Amino acid sequence: MNLLEVKNLKKSFGDLEVLKNISMEVGEGEVVSILGPSGSGKSTFLRCISMLETIDGGSLVYCGKQAVSEQDGKPVYVPKSELQEIRHSFGLVFQNFNLFPHYSVLKNITDAPIRVLKRDKAEVMKEAEALLKKMGLADKGSFYPYQLSGGQQQRVAIARALAMKPKMLFFDEPTSALDPELTAEILKVLKELAKEKMTMLIVTHEIGFARSVSDHVVFMDGGVIVEQGDPRDVIDNPSNERTRAFLKKMEQ
Amino acid sequence: MKLRKTAALLTAAFLLLTGIKAVIPVSADTERHTFTVGFDAEFPPYGYQDESGEYVGFDLSLADEVCKRRGWALNKVPIEWNSKDMELKTGAIDCIWNGFTINGRENDYTWTVPYVDNSQVAIVRADSDIQVLSDLFGKIVAVQTDSSALAAFTGEDAEESNIALAKTFRELRQVGDYNSAFMNLESGAVDVICMDIGVANYEIKARGGKFRMLDEHISSEEYGVGFLKGNTELRDEVQETLFEMLDDGAFARIAADWELTDCVCLTRESAAPAETPKEAESVDETEKNGTSLANICIQLLRGVGASLAIFFLTLLFALPLGLLIAFGRMSRFKPLSALVKLYISVVRGTPLMLQLLVVFFGPYYLFRVSTPPGYRFWAVIIGFTLNYAAYFAEIYRSGIQAVPVGQHEACAILGYSGTQKFFRIIFPQMTKNILPSVTNEVITLVKDTSLAFAISYTEMFTLAKQVAAAQATILPLFIAGVFYYVFNFIVAFVMERIEKKLSYFR
Repeated sequence: MNLLEVKNLKKSFGDLEVLKNISMEVGEGEVVSILGPSGSGKSTFLRCISMLETIDGGSLVYCGKQAVSEQDGKPVYVPKSELQEIRHSFGLVFQNFNLFPHYSVLKNITDAPIRVLKRDKAEVMKEAEALLKKMGLADKGSFYPYQLSGGQQQRVAIARALAMKPKMLFFDEPTSALDPELTAEILKVLKELAKEKMTMLIVTHEIGFARSVSDHVVFMDGGVIVEQGDPRDVIDNPSNERTRAFLKKMEQ
Repeated sequence: MKLRKTAALLTAAFLLLTGIKAVIPVSADTERHTFTVGFDAEFPPYGYQDESGEYVGFDLSLADEVCKRRGWALNKVPIEWNSKDMELKTGAIDCIWNGFTINGRENDYTWTVPYVDNSQVAIVRADSDIQVLSDLFGKIVAVQTDSSALAAFTGEDAEESNIALAKTFRELRQVGDYNSAFMNLESGAVDVICMDIGVANYEIKARGGKFRMLDEHISSEEYGVGFLKGNTELRDEVQETLFEMLDDGAFARIAADWELTDCVCLTRESAAPAETPKEAESVDETEKNGTSLANICIQLLRGVGASLAIFFLTLLFALPLGLLIAFGRMSRFKPLSALVKLYISVVRGTPLMLQLLVVFFGPYYLFRVSTPPGYRFWAVIIGFTLNYAAYFAEIYRSGIQAVPVGQHEACAILGYSGTQKFFRIIFPQMTKNILPSVTNEVITLVKDTSLAFAISYTEMFTLAKQVAAAQATILPLFIAGVFYYVFNFIVAFVMERIEKKLSYFR
């Protein structure tokens, strides 16, 4: 079953057409990486499917539930209450973590499950502690975000996303704000999640990571999908000139 | 004493504002129980504060006697002199009885017959070489702003000789009140003060021989009780009682009590000339000796309560109201945000003092609604709240907008509702952001409470000025300064503690 189906997605900012007719599917348990140069529209794409941006054309289906359908060439969103339900099917990890600075690590993770999902507090706390342990942060529960390194903060952010029990996770350049050593920390966590068959859609610049962990790689440029397929095909034997140029540049 | 210029300007501003011509309120009060006298509480010996904080004076003693005889309860209301016409028109006071000069205002009020003949005189330092008016050549002469003395030199009806005399002065300087005038004279900043004789006698005596009066007088003028133009009914009642008091000697006795025997002039054609009992008790010197620190502090204490009330009630109402206004300002509903923007712009663009006047006098001039007696205090609170809420709103707005967009996006992804997002995530971060600006505003508020004087609400500073004028000393002003400083020291301390409390996150 496909957890995400995107058809003919279009997005413009004013006169600037950022996404031109993007279609993509993500199956259950699949790890999909999106590569591409800056300004190719990959982050905007992720923000559109996270519903942080409204789309200008196309349709979106999450776990079989229609969120946006195209009617007479215009995208129509389902009512707010249904959207809220659909939102819980995915989580998003930001490039800048966006932790709540006034909450402790534990509260960052547990607040939404308790307040938004109205789940039992004791149960949520237990799960949160397990998540922290998994992230190697078992002793950091009472810390505040400013007391942690970037890598630790990003691991808390991932734990916060997982605590909502989403069907899939989106990552928006999760290591771009981190130095190489901390990047490795995060990639290790992502690899573990992939092993557990967590469905993930990752916008990244880490070519090597994308090759080793992805089931499917998408190369975007100029607001369109230039090339996609098995990572060994797209990364090791790119057929498109633009993909080759980009990969060559990244190697340097 | 002070003339009508400023008052007329203010009144004109209100009439322009309302576009309505003021009318005389109907005197529905057929069964009168109270009699409200408006007076300037910084004008001894006619009306001022004594050591115990009571409003006393020659005029108030007369009013008291009139009320006793009429069976009315006397209500003494110290007013801001510039607002006297509005006080009268709105019915907040029944008359102005306060060394009130008739000359030049004959047609502006309904007057009793004059009861004091008050000359304008010149005061110099005791050791000064000035002996006669012609010695004023090349000197610096002080008069009170809007005073009769100023009018005697530069007014439309000034005598030719006085206009000529004024031209020989090195400078004709206007000062705000007599206390600062005497501070100027004593320090040598001015050479002469010209003022009303009754006030001059009082001040010279109170200041213990440091000053003397020239024998030659500049001009003379007469005092009467001023009623709202057309209110002859009440004027007649009061005047008739004054005549009674003249006939039975009470008037002369009160005049003697206040050492004004030399200048009273109340007569009626049928009345016999006032007797002046020579053995009048003079004001005991020791009674005047109320300038001790403790005494002044006790007097100012009453004002402290008023200042604190303004401070805390303003914060209580303005802090939440400011948040609502900030929401209105940030609303995506354009008419609302435009309206709120206009409100903030007007409030921040006009003086708080003017806003207080509008809140206090507005109900009458805009809607013809007479305001209840307690309204003066609430007008202060409403004025301050509306003003400070506008400032707080902008501070809140800046604090809210300083919260990173990522916080909003994280909330959206996690599914927080709008209310949850604001109170759980945005508000705590906003609070931390705005604390330094809020501290600034709160400290300003402490000092701004003194602006309540604009509508004659007697808070600490107004009281300090009154006490300073009555006791002819600057000590109360100094104590007031210490009070504001200590108050703000505490405010700064408390705010620092709150900032520290919020330093657990960054």
